[in-house]
Amino acid sequence: MDASTNIKWEGYSVAERDWRWRRVRENAVKAGFDCIFVPLCVDGRNLHLSLEQARGTRSDCRFLTQLDNAAVILPTDGREPIIISDQENGNDWVPEFRPVEESWGKSMAQALIDAGMERARIGVSGLRRGFYTHGRAFHGVVNHNSYVEVLRRLPNATFENATEAIGYARYVKSEEQINCLRRGAAIAAAGIDKMVELAHPGMDEGVLYARVMQRMVELGSEYYPLAFYSGLHGDGRLPRFEDPTEGRTLQPMYRIANEVDAVFGGLIAQEQQPIFLGPIPDAWQPAIELQHDLYYAGLEHLTPGRSFAEFMDMINSFGEKRGLKSQLLMHGRGYGDDGPLFTPQNRGERNRDVAIEKGCVFIVKPIAHSADGTFNTSWGGCVVCTDKGGEPLVKRTPGMVSIT
Amino acid sequence: MPWTQATRAGATVHIWNGYSLAERDRRWNTVREQAASVGFDSILVPLGNGVDGRYMTQLRCSALALPSDGGAPIVIADRSSHNEWVPEPWQTGREWAEPMGEALLDLGMARARIGVVGLKGGMVTHCSSIDGVVNHTALVEVMSKLPNARFEDATDIVGLARYVKSEEEIAFVRQSARVASSGLEELIKLARPGADAGVLYAGVLSRMLELRSEYFPLSLTIDALGTEKPQRYSNPPLGRRLEANALIANEINAIRGAQLTQVCQPILLGKIPDAWKPVIELHKEVYEAGLAMIKPNTTFGALADFVNGYGAKRGMKTVIHLHGCGYGDDGPLFSPRSRGDKVRDLQIEKGNAFVWKPIAMTADEKILFSWGGPVLVTDRGCEAFLKREHGMVSIT
Repeated sequence: MDASTNIKWEGYSVAERDWRWRRVRENAVKAGFDCIFVPLCVDGRNLHLSLEQARGTRSDCRFLTQLDNAAVILPTDGREPIIISDQENGNDWVPEFRPVEESWGKSMAQALIDAGMERARIGVSGLRRGFYTHGRAFHGVVNHNSYVEVLRRLPNATFENATEAIGYARYVKSEEQINCLRRGAAIAAAGIDKMVELAHPGMDEGVLYARVMQRMVELGSEYYPLAFYSGLHGDGRLPRFEDPTEGRTLQPMYRIANEVDAVFGGLIAQEQQPIFLGPIPDAWQPAIELQHDLYYAGLEHLTPGRSFAEFMDMINSFGEKRGLKSQLLMHGRGYGDDGPLFTPQNRGERNRDVAIEKGCVFIVKPIAHSADGTFNTSWGGCVVCTDKGGEPLVKRTPGMVSIT
Repeated sequence: MPWTQATRAGATVHIWNGYSLAERDRRWNTVREQAASVGFDSILVPLGNGVDGRYMTQLRCSALALPSDGGAPIVIADRSSHNEWVPEPWQTGREWAEPMGEALLDLGMARARIGVVGLKGGMVTHCSSIDGVVNHTALVEVMSKLPNARFEDATDIVGLARYVKSEEEIAFVRQSARVASSGLEELIKLARPGADAGVLYAGVLSRMLELRSEYFPLSLTIDALGTEKPQRYSNPPLGRRLEANALIANEINAIRGAQLTQVCQPILLGKIPDAWKPVIELHKEVYEAGLAMIKPNTTFGALADFVNGYGAKRGMKTVIHLHGCGYGDDGPLFSPRSRGDKVRDLQIEKGNAFVWKPIAMTADEKILFSWGGPVLVTDRGCEAFLKREHGMVSIT
């Protein structure tokens, strides 16, 4: 892979910005909003329900402005947005913005008034969880104090949840976004290669963690914590770590699970690779083979126009004919907390009517269980939805790596 | 207990939680006393205020209702997480408003005066979040369940508890400072003309992770000496090699025991120009003179006035730059963008830990120098944890 010094990427084009703004405006018009309002959102260090959710909290402003923190008022009639930010500098997309004067609440309210929204129907993104974004944040991501101040200063406007207006715009990726996710997936795969290279009995887990992160960052990824699980099989659920561990050393017959994420162009790619520090027991093979076949069956069925109801039913019933159990585990990829979200915990029931579309990118990592339920495995990576089905963004082969 | 445990939960995320039970009780009792002294019946650390949640529980993600009368708090957590401090929190999945409201009702707070922590930026915590950090929809739902209760800002109640560090915390501030200093040494080791700036960035981060720092972004500002608006990176620089005569300003952050500290020392890939030397010399003086003033009972107003006026006698400028060490966004915050007007009367106390890095510059502000790191306020004055020789590192 290219070292970061050889990367020529200079950011998203202005055409990409206009494409995003246009899609959001179109969604807002359909929903009858006069403008879309992305208010100040709580920072991810404080609103930290999960890695994904934390990264997702200010994702709408990053999607619309490429600024790390901003509030946006995007009128649906085609006028330029008003952007407020506390950042030091603008960028190619937003060379100038309004600074925060005294408080975000006051500044955002004034901007809405200046945009002529005193009696408008205002769609607020991030007030509640959506289908496509902020799915893990049931109560949304909006900062209380500043938002209440906006409501107070615009008593005749109507404010309604509009998380889907931006969410749906984020759901389908442009070519520029897919290219960034492709590079991110390749970086994550390189991180996995580093983990496989270093993982052996006696290895300090914290050092392993640091080396994998170093590899991905030197290839140009933003820092996104590796999720690392390790332990003996049969001791219950493996513990999960999102920082380098202290006092833990890999042992023979340890299982290692992981979520290896890389961020390029602001978009989070993920690849996943189970590892076993020993010869893989025969009893695990049927589930590993099932997971392999399940993944490829999933790719075949990931076609535009299909509902997730059909897709998840296919995945969840796939293992039955082999006397095994299978489960869907997947979600969208993008700026953070992208959906729809399917986990063994939520089962994705609320997403059944969501349609798969061309240009969507997902992390697909279905789970296969052994017949007696004592073993399960998940392997996966980023997949873009094309007319012909799901296409992995980086070529890897499902399975469990055995290190002996 | 009306709230029932979520039946399905994601994997428990294990985080560092090594403070003692005595430390927990110290924190809880300090917060209770502060809350009672201003008439709050209970403190609520709601969804959104993750940093204070961690300070009070050592959990990765939590909300907490703490009665000021000495009663036990109710803690809400997710993913089946628990620890020695909080062996049996109420467990939730992704629903937080419902258990937060139930917790307050369970504690008899239906008509109480409730202090909400993180509602606004405080004097010494959440300093850069001027509108606080509280999740809107969740708090509104909580308030709707307790229509006869009063909810008011109580950021400083926990803030002032965080402001003064215990011996246990100080030990980790010290460790954290050592790790940050190791990161700086790694940066100095790797910074050479021709080096890939992204590889350099990754190498420094990796060094601190190896020393078991939790992650916090590393900030590098890299450009040729004299560049008017040098490029600042809080992610790995792409497509960039270091060039001769590049100036690398830095903020190297480390976290040990949840205590965030920072060191900074500019690095020049070349010979230090003569025009910079008086500024660096002035900086050394103002750094040390300020250090002598950082002691118990000094007000921040006095410190700021002293530092901000110090450079004039040399025909140059000096500006106070200081913030707290701790769980994150600690104050008080003094920077070129934040003058700290509302904390002028606040006094420095024994057990405070700050990042002290005043700025010295020429009158036309074209040459600017900052250097510094964590300091601890003791009985006798102030102890600096950055042990490196003052000045700019010159790599030729």
